Amino acid sequence: MTDREKAEDIEAEAARWVWRLDRDGRAPELEAQLEAWLAGDARRRGAFLKAESVWSLLDRARGTAPSSFAGRARPVSRRVLLAGAGGAIAAAMVGAGVLLLREERFNTGVGEVRRVPLEDGSAVAINTASAVEVAFQRGQRTVRLREGEAWFQVARDVQRPFVVEAGAVRVRAVGTAFSVRRRANGADVLVTEGVVEVWAEGATRAPARLRAGQGAFIDASAVVRPAVAAPEAVDRKLEWRYGKIDLAGETLSEAVADFNRYNDRKLVIADPRIADERLYGVFNTGGPDAFAAAVGASLGVEVEARGGEIVLGRRRAS
Amino acid sequence: MTSDREHIVKWVASEVMPHEAGVRAWLRRARVPADEIDDLMQEAYAKLVGLQRVDQIESPDGYFFQVVRNLLTDKLRRAKVVRIEAATEIDALSVCSDEPSPEQATAARRELSRVQALIQALPERCRRVFELRKVLGVPQREIARRLGISESAVENEAVKGMRLIMRALQEEGAEVRGDRVRKTNDRSRKG
Repeated sequence: MTDREKAEDIEAEAARWVWRLDRDGRAPELEAQLEAWLAGDARRRGAFLKAESVWSLLDRARGTAPSSFAGRARPVSRRVLLAGAGGAIAAAMVGAGVLLLREERFNTGVGEVRRVPLEDGSAVAINTASAVEVAFQRGQRTVRLREGEAWFQVARDVQRPFVVEAGAVRVRAVGTAFSVRRRANGADVLVTEGVVEVWAEGATRAPARLRAGQGAFIDASAVVRPAVAAPEAVDRKLEWRYGKIDLAGETLSEAVADFNRYNDRKLVIADPRIADERLYGVFNTGGPDAFAAAVGASLGVEVEARGGEIVLGRRRAS
Repeated sequence: MTSDREHIVKWVASEVMPHEAGVRAWLRRARVPADEIDDLMQEAYAKLVGLQRVDQIESPDGYFFQVVRNLLTDKLRRAKVVRIEAATEIDALSVCSDEPSPEQATAARRELSRVQALIQALPERCRRVFELRKVLGVPQREIARRLGISESAVENEAVKGMRLIMRALQEEGAEVRGDRVRKTNDRSRKG
């Protein structure tokens, strides 16, 4: 075996090919060059197949391909995946030298989702039209949700609990991940990892515990009303972090309300008889038109863009 | 042709790669030198390229084992010096390679959460490149601009990152498959 090309060199070259094809697409002359390279050694085809496979595997990191999470596998793997992605993105932002640590208040516009790494290693994903204030003290990490919704992936620190304040509602964690959405008289809490304690400032009720896969609405007097039936529902409701709305039996009016959080062009239901129709599917938060078209087709109703609105109209005579 | 290729690529990613660590562990136990293991694995993947259809393969891990085993047997035959340990392991393997694998179903699932962990474990700049390209879908040229480095530097980071991920995938989780091989050995001794 004299001067045989080393497997690791082949591996590096195969990875390079995958990257170049990703950049330039499969132009004929590039294909020809690739074919020439592949033909040079029997191992190269194997290395290239593997590099392509790794590349395709990484696509799943995007977490926006619900079809690949079908069935029983979905709740667990997805929860892990999403939590991981949040952390990775936050970490990547640190890596790029984005210095957000000094800033104490974060606002997002309509349709905007912002990811912010915090100085303690925690990460926040802030949903559309929201305001978050970060106030870390020596003994406690306090975050105030002034408006809207945010998901927190909390770095473990037993000495300094992480407390989110949403109006009177308080959510406390040590090392976990959860989201809080402020409502008029309370807050929705969804837990993706670990356990959190919820209570309300000024209420006498003892703190309640919510664990991973649970969600609840907590009102200003600390009454906890369970709101989510299954762990996968928690994951679905947090798809906004990836710019998605994942519907699995929500009513049209619920879906429309959700879309309208993300867009200035509002969806309007003209015919109340279709408001309770249940819908399934995954849509982009910023694509009310595509959603409206899908609704129009599946419910058989007229869709009309009228000024700043998209009207889901009357049922067509069939 | 492209879609067939894509199909095989996806199948390899989800059904074969999760078992590479186990195959490598077995080859190490069979005292196959490290550089030969690397060669063997690439040759084995090359065999998969020629597959017309993959859906009918019921036990991809067993199938992959079989491919590696055949390649190794050829090699040993050509070398004319049969290592005793290797031959014994090969016999043991022929028992287990036909069985459907209980961990097969869960392997792909594990793989998924692992991908996340793998990206996170990359060195800073590498990770940034992968996050931008794969999670956020930023075009390569734009990545170079955003990071303030040349396109070829981005390419080098990407190549480095992919290799680190491959390395991690092929070394991780080896004990899963190892357990199974050992169990099989016990059984064949009993029988």
